[in-house]
Order: sequence, then structure tokens, then C-alpha cells
Amino acid sequence: MTVQGSISFVVGEEKKLTDVLSESDVMPLLKSVVGAGLDLAAIVDTAGEPLWFFAPGETRPGSMLPLGAAQECRPIMLSGDTVGRVHLSAGGEIDPALLRFLARVVGDAVNSMVQTNLKRMMVTELHTKVVQMSYDELLEKNRQLSASEQKYRELAEHLEVRVQDRTAELKQAYARMLQQEKMASVGQLAAGMAHEINNPLSFVLSNLKTLEKYVSRFTELAGFYEEQVAQAGSDAVTRCLQAKRSELKIDFILDDLGDLFTQSHAGAERVKKILSDLRGFSHIDDAEHSQLDVNAEIERTLSVLSSEIPGDAEITRELAEIPLVVCRGALLCQAFLNIIRNAIQVKPHGLRLRIRTALHANDHITIVFKDNGPGIAPDIQARIFEPFFTTHEVGSGMGMGLKVAYDAVTSCCGTITLSSKEGQGAAFVITLPINGRCNE
Amino acid sequence: MIEYDTEAGVMVIKLVYYGPALSGKTTNLMCLHDLLPCGGRGNLMVLDTARERTIYFDLLPFFITAPSGLRIKVKVFTVPGQVKHDATRKAVLQRADGVAFIADSQVRENLNNATSFENLEQNLALVGLDPDKLPLVIQYNKRDLPGITPEDEIRSLWRPSGVPLFFASALEGWGVVDTFECLLRVTYASLDGRYCLSESHGLSAQAFTCGLTCPEVSPGLQESSL
Repeated sequence: MTVQGSISFVVGEEKKLTDVLSESDVMPLLKSVVGAGLDLAAIVDTAGEPLWFFAPGETRPGSMLPLGAAQECRPIMLSGDTVGRVHLSAGGEIDPALLRFLARVVGDAVNSMVQTNLKRMMVTELHTKVVQMSYDELLEKNRQLSASEQKYRELAEHLEVRVQDRTAELKQAYARMLQQEKMASVGQLAAGMAHEINNPLSFVLSNLKTLEKYVSRFTELAGFYEEQVAQAGSDAVTRCLQAKRSELKIDFILDDLGDLFTQSHAGAERVKKILSDLRGFSHIDDAEHSQLDVNAEIERTLSVLSSEIPGDAEITRELAEIPLVVCRGALLCQAFLNIIRNAIQVKPHGLRLRIRTALHANDHITIVFKDNGPGIAPDIQARIFEPFFTTHEVGSGMGMGLKVAYDAVTSCCGTITLSSKEGQGAAFVITLPINGRCNE
Repeated sequence: MIEYDTEAGVMVIKLVYYGPALSGKTTNLMCLHDLLPCGGRGNLMVLDTARERTIYFDLLPFFITAPSGLRIKVKVFTVPGQVKHDATRKAVLQRADGVAFIADSQVRENLNNATSFENLEQNLALVGLDPDKLPLVIQYNKRDLPGITPEDEIRSLWRPSGVPLFFASALEGWGVVDTFECLLRVTYASLDGRYCLSESHGLSAQAFTCGLTCPEVSPGLQESSL
């Protein structure tokens, strides 16, 4: 049985007599038995049709069963089934006992041949089948081994690259972690300091007010003394007093006192505001995600940065009315801070920074920071959000500023993009969804 | 099923005696050959052996003709039990209609029995037969020997599986025909569902089993020629 070029056997398949016997097997036997004085020796199938025959002078088996001739048959068995007969016939002159004897000899010989051939065939078929199955299994095993070898080879080839990738990833993650930790500790420190400074500052402010009140009373008392002395009419005492007064520059002091108090008061109030901004900027008291007034956060960031902003810098705010945004405040302030600080660093003199907020389609806001700095060269625009990418001199920055801004914005499900032409300034556009949820 | 030719009216069924090496599979077939009348069967054909161990297979054919004229040939095979002949076992197992698992009752053979049964399940799956659906009977042979596992133990081992269980001594000639009859019954049940043996061919389970095991007492069934 041939299936797609391969030989396939089913053990136990039925066999026909012609499968197990061939002409070369039986013809010598038929010929020699006819030589013993018979007219015809044949092997016929169950229907009586001759499969092989030998009859001297006959080319066709048409007259193989002449009427009146003596004949003998013996069944041929194939695995228990009768599949044909040995057929011998002779003219009248043969001894019937001899014919019977010959029939038995030929019958036994053919049956034994059938039996032996069948065994040989079954063994051959089984052997072929086992070889085929083993070969198929080997092919399959070979295929699997090749596949696995290929896999390992690829793995080995790409191992180096993958190790590098992973190392870079780890380095980035580590740097980000460091940055976040730094921010957190700076925030904590700021908040702690703000708290510590706030207490003495409060009593400084309060005492300042009381002191102002007390001083005004002393001034009043001094005026009262002068008045009383003048009314008493003692010119010598009056002159002496005036001399002392001008020696101590009391008139100037009295003039200056008001300014001193106003300035001290204003100074102390400013310290108080700075502390409150610092505290707010660090968002140390906020939950992970909270509702933020982005405009206020911008103001607060600018205030924290105020010492770094050069005197000649011109910062314009076009802050539209925008709803509260759900976001991680500390991160967002950090993003603003890094963008504004970047602008200051690239344009230390004559910086003009425009900060604009706007609401779009009632579901997201944009915050635009546009400066008049040197802009960002096209070939590095794609890389500015990469970690450790910096144009600053070695040692002045680790290249994490814009990366932190990028991470901060994306963690609030927002986007940050840059549009810049070299020499014409740069504009960073931050887009934030109002609900704080990412659009999947 | 090796062959089912509706036009020629021939159905050739394959039953396989499986089991560990030297558990008595060939002896079972020889015993069947000796005990059952030759009217319904052919001669036992033993292919080459090496020191009385089967290396190919043995074949004992049985015949029965259904009232409809359908001629059914039941070919009973043994497989070589030795582990190294696994490819041969697989080849013989292909298209089996029923399996008799011949286990060796000796206590020291228990592990071999288990290994061989696992091998049977694996090979059935490999040749595309479902071990849970294929007609199966189990025979614990060599009950005549000392040092054998007690019947109770064996029964409780196999009870959960629901597989028919027989105890036999192929050497002494008992239990062997019972095993074979049961295998014929479960095989008939499985084939009847698929080929309507009783409905379309008028062959009942009883007639099938009896016709193959004691043909001379089943009148009406055509005797096969000698």
C-alpha cells in the first residue's frame, strides 16, 4: 500500500492467494507433477478460475476439465480461509490411488509454501512498518533538535545585546529612583524646615507688631517731655535737649522707624509666603492623586524659583480659567520646575518666557511654555526626553530634567511635546486629561 | 478495525493480547488454539521467536458468518512484551478493536505490569485510539505459581477502573477461554453501536461470542471450510 510515496502496511491486512504465491513458486511443482503422467495440473481460485496451470500442448485452459477424466482437488488454506484449490487431472489410464497421492503431495507442498510465504510477507511488512515509524520518529526528533539548537544559537547571539539593553534599563530605573528619592527627601526637608522656621517667624512677626506699638508710645512720651519742658520755659534745658536730640539724630530715626517696621514686616511676610510655597510645592501633605489648580501650581513653582530667575527676565502668564485636574501634584510641579529652569539656564540674559494655560473640548487642558532661547537643534530633538541626555557641561547636570518632566506628565496620563526651530526658541506643550484617566 | 468492505461483505476485526514480557500472551493463544474447536478458527501462526520469546507477533484467526452473509474474521494478535520492541507493539496495536491485557500474577512482576499498562495507554494514544473507550479486559495469568499477588488485592486495585478482570493459568488451561469470551463480548458491544451488527446483520452478542468459541453448537451458522 503506497501513501504519498511512503510504504505503509497495516499488520493483519487480508491477503489474496496471488499475493502470497507467484508463478515462479508454483510452476516447477506443476510441471514436475505433470511429468508423472498427468494431463493437467492447475491452481484455481475459489470460483474455479485457473490462476496458474500446466498442461502439455495446451496454451489455454479451456479444456482443462475434460469430461470423463480422472481428477483430484486439494484446498489451499490462507490463514484459515480456503482461498483456492490444487487441481490435477489425467486421462483414464492413471491409477486413481496415485492421482490421490500426487494431489496430496502437491496440496501439502502448496499449503506449506503459502504458509511460509505469508509468514515472510508479514515479517517483511512489519519490519518495513517499524523501520518507517522509527524513521519518522527520528525525523521528528531531528526537527525538534534543530529547532532547539536554532533557539539556543539565537539566544547566544543576542545575549550580549539583551544584557546591554537590560543594563541600560536598570541604569535608567535606578537613576529615576534616585531622582524621585532625592525629590522626596528635598521635599521632606523643605517641609520640615518650613515648619521649624514658621514658629519663630510667627513670634518675630507678632513681636514686631507689638514693638511698633511700644516704640510709638516711646515717641509719644518723648514728644510729651519736650512739650512740657518748652512750656516750663527753661531755655537752657530746651537747648540742651535739642543738642542731645540732634546729636542722637532722633529726627532721622523717627522718620526711618516707619520704613524699618514696614520693610521688616514685609520681609517677614515674604519669608512666610516662601515657606508656604515650599511646603505646597513639595506636596508633602497631598495624597498620591489629588485635584490640582494648575494655575496656582505654576505660580507656586515660579515663586519657589524666584531666586533663580534673573532680574531682567520677563515672564508673562496667560492663565485661562481651567478646571481642577486630577494629578500627582509633586510630580507636576517638578515637571514645571524643570522646564522653567531649563529655559533660564539656556538664556541667562534677556529671557522672555510665556506661560499659557487653556481648556480644550472640556476634557483636557494644555500648558505651553514658550521661551526665546536658542531653541533645540533638530538632530537632538528626538533625544531630549532620553535619560542622561544633556547638552550641559559635564558635572552641571545629569540629563534627567526633561526625563523627569516626561515621566511626570505621562504618569498623569498626559503628553509632553516639543516644537522648536533652532535660533527661534522652544515651546513645550503639556496636555493633561481633566479626569486623570488615560484614554485606552 | 483492519477492514470493513460492505460490497464484498467482509469485516476483519483485530484483537490484541498485550502485556509485559513473559506474561503468557503466546501461551494464551496456544491454549485457545488447543481448547476451542477448529471449526471456527484457522491455525495459530507463530512468527519467528528467539528462545521462545516473541519478537514479531503471533496470529490466531477466527471466523464467523452473520445471518446477513457478512463474513467476520477476528484476528487475534500477540505483541512482543520486551521493552525494546516498542515499535513492533505500536505497529501491531494499530487499528485494534479490543485489547486483552495479560498481567503476570507474581508479586515481583507488579512493577512490570504497571509499566506495561502505562505503555499500552501511551501507545494507544499514539496510534490514535482512545484508551478510555477501547474495549479492554485484564487477565492475571500464572495463578498456578507460588509467590503471587492475592486476588483481593488485585480486585481492589482494578475495581475503580471498572475493567473486567480474570484470573487464569494459561499453562493449566483455565481462565483463558473466559477472558477471550469476555473480550469478544465487550468488543461486540462496541462494534454493534457503530456497525449495527444485530440490527443490520442479525448477529446477536450471544451468537457472536458462541459462534467464535464453540461453533459446532451454534446451528444455523455456516461452518468455515477446513
